[in-house]
Amino acid sequence: MSTVQLASAAPRRQRGRSLAQFFAYFILFIGLAVTLVPFIWILMTSLKPASEIVRIPPTFFPEQWTFNSYQTIFADPKVPLARFYLNSTFVAVARVVITLFTSSLAGYIFAKFTFRGKNLLFGFILIQLMIPFQVVMIPAYLILVQLRLIDSLWGLVIPSMVDAFGIFLMRQFISTFPNDLIDAARIDGAGEFTVYRRVVMPNLGAPLATLGIFTFMATWNDYLWPLIVITTHEKRTLPLLLTWYTSQHGQRYDLTMAASILVLLPILVVYIFFQRWIVRGVALTGMK
Amino acid sequence: MTRAAIAGGAGVRRKERTGLRPGQRVFVWGSLIPIFLYLGVFALFPMIWVVVLSFFNYSPVRVGDGPLGLGGRNPFIGLGNFAAMFADTQAGELFRISVKNTLIFAFLVLAVNLAITLPLAVLVESVHARVKGLFRAIYFLPTISSAVAVAIMWGYVFHPQQGLLNNFIKLIGLTPPKAWLTDPSAFVFGVPLAMVAAIIAYVWMDFGYNLVIFIAALQGIPREIRDAAHIDGATGWQEFRRITVPLLQPTLLLVCTLTMISSFQVFVIFQVMTGGGPQNQTRSLTMEIYENAFRFQAMGWAASMSLVLFAMVLIVTLVQFRVLRTDWEY
Repeated sequence: MSTVQLASAAPRRQRGRSLAQFFAYFILFIGLAVTLVPFIWILMTSLKPASEIVRIPPTFFPEQWTFNSYQTIFADPKVPLARFYLNSTFVAVARVVITLFTSSLAGYIFAKFTFRGKNLLFGFILIQLMIPFQVVMIPAYLILVQLRLIDSLWGLVIPSMVDAFGIFLMRQFISTFPNDLIDAARIDGAGEFTVYRRVVMPNLGAPLATLGIFTFMATWNDYLWPLIVITTHEKRTLPLLLTWYTSQHGQRYDLTMAASILVLLPILVVYIFFQRWIVRGVALTGMK
Repeated sequence: MTRAAIAGGAGVRRKERTGLRPGQRVFVWGSLIPIFLYLGVFALFPMIWVVVLSFFNYSPVRVGDGPLGLGGRNPFIGLGNFAAMFADTQAGELFRISVKNTLIFAFLVLAVNLAITLPLAVLVESVHARVKGLFRAIYFLPTISSAVAVAIMWGYVFHPQQGLLNNFIKLIGLTPPKAWLTDPSAFVFGVPLAMVAAIIAYVWMDFGYNLVIFIAALQGIPREIRDAAHIDGATGWQEFRRITVPLLQPTLLLVCTLTMISSFQVFVIFQVMTGGGPQNQTRSLTMEIYENAFRFQAMGWAASMSLVLFAMVLIVTLVQFRVLRTDWEY
């Protein structure tokens, strides 16, 4: 009896397996649709003529394809797009370069040196991790007023040149780095900064890339701090430009969706190239 | 150096404890002193200053007598700001509404997020390795997108007539709500409809993070444990319920904490998509802090509210540490 049962159970389980597989793919594709359809829909909206937008019920794909909305944005003298891309790029790149430098330097020191007060200083870094930006943004603003950095792109860079999370992340990575290599370089007569620059830094490719990409994206997408600091139109970053543009063209969804696409696009390109780093980085660090 | 070593233990021992040679001392302190001076100005000082401000009726448009603009026309009012949170005034009521909204939002986001990401992660793990990466990459896409663009996009998805969602609801033969974002009389199980919309948009935007973390944690569960369960004849559901979930407990806790804390800090979805409306039904604590500090320049009041936000984050973090003491190993 038991042999019969075993014999019949095997194919049933097999069939159960493939049914489960089918079910899994079905759910996963629904998830895929829910994730992608809104993006596709606003892309399609941006490619419709204004007259088609207001039609009820709306069309999904344009009946008449047009780049009119993009041409309108490019031709708008109040929207010098290159300027805004440049603003966002400047702030993001400046923050990435500075953050990578300070994080790797401090992370290296906390990982590989013992000195008095180390635990106290590192404890301060850990406390920083717990403090939400909104809690300290009022004093941070008042400091910028004193430094006369309000309404300046530097005002978006200078308050965040040292990143507690970056230091923490780098320390974790550098802790696993072999001491022998560092000592060998010292015996060869390398100064301490040279050891950091020539021995430690070149081995930090993966964590630096991860931290760099995350800093870049966070800065590029940041809204609240630029909203507080920037007041002049020409100094706006892309997210600020987008809300301003939407407030000017509220009901022209062809235009506002085209503007949204223009803001989404650069990050999408970055993502396509660095997707592996980004996803692995989140899995590794629980970064948010 | 050798002479010191021969001469006696004391000096050497001290050197070992501090562990820094002169050249290293220059490097370590030459690097750390500027970094921590900077952190003193841009991290420590703001932390202290936000506490100080919360005891004053401070506005930067008024010039005070004392240091840093305090005193005089920006008077010290003790716990006045905190008392005002419980007062029967319009400001006090708005504050309480915003705290309530933030808590409702955070708890519902957490529940919905976990209900989606945990099973989805198991499903992603169960399919062929080649497509796994593709699913994961696409699910992660919304999290890297500009929050402002996403909020504007969802505002249009929720459009009563032209919106994608209402037309989809009509298509499958149901009656869609009159207005997602502007109808103050619409509720779903007692939750304002606009709040439901904000939760949908935010979960859509954010679920990729938890998904990726869960997938990584699932990959860390040893193969043998699953195989043993299979041999014992466990069904898929039993395996999920009795093996996956218990072994994911530490990750689950981390994810709950991170999701909760970041939901407390959501600003863009509310500011851009709902504007806090209708009738303050989606006014969040972060919006309330921002508007009072930077639109009405009531920075003392806003500072005291931001301390409440900090307390909320702190409580969640401490609860996590408390629970995390039960250590797991496999």
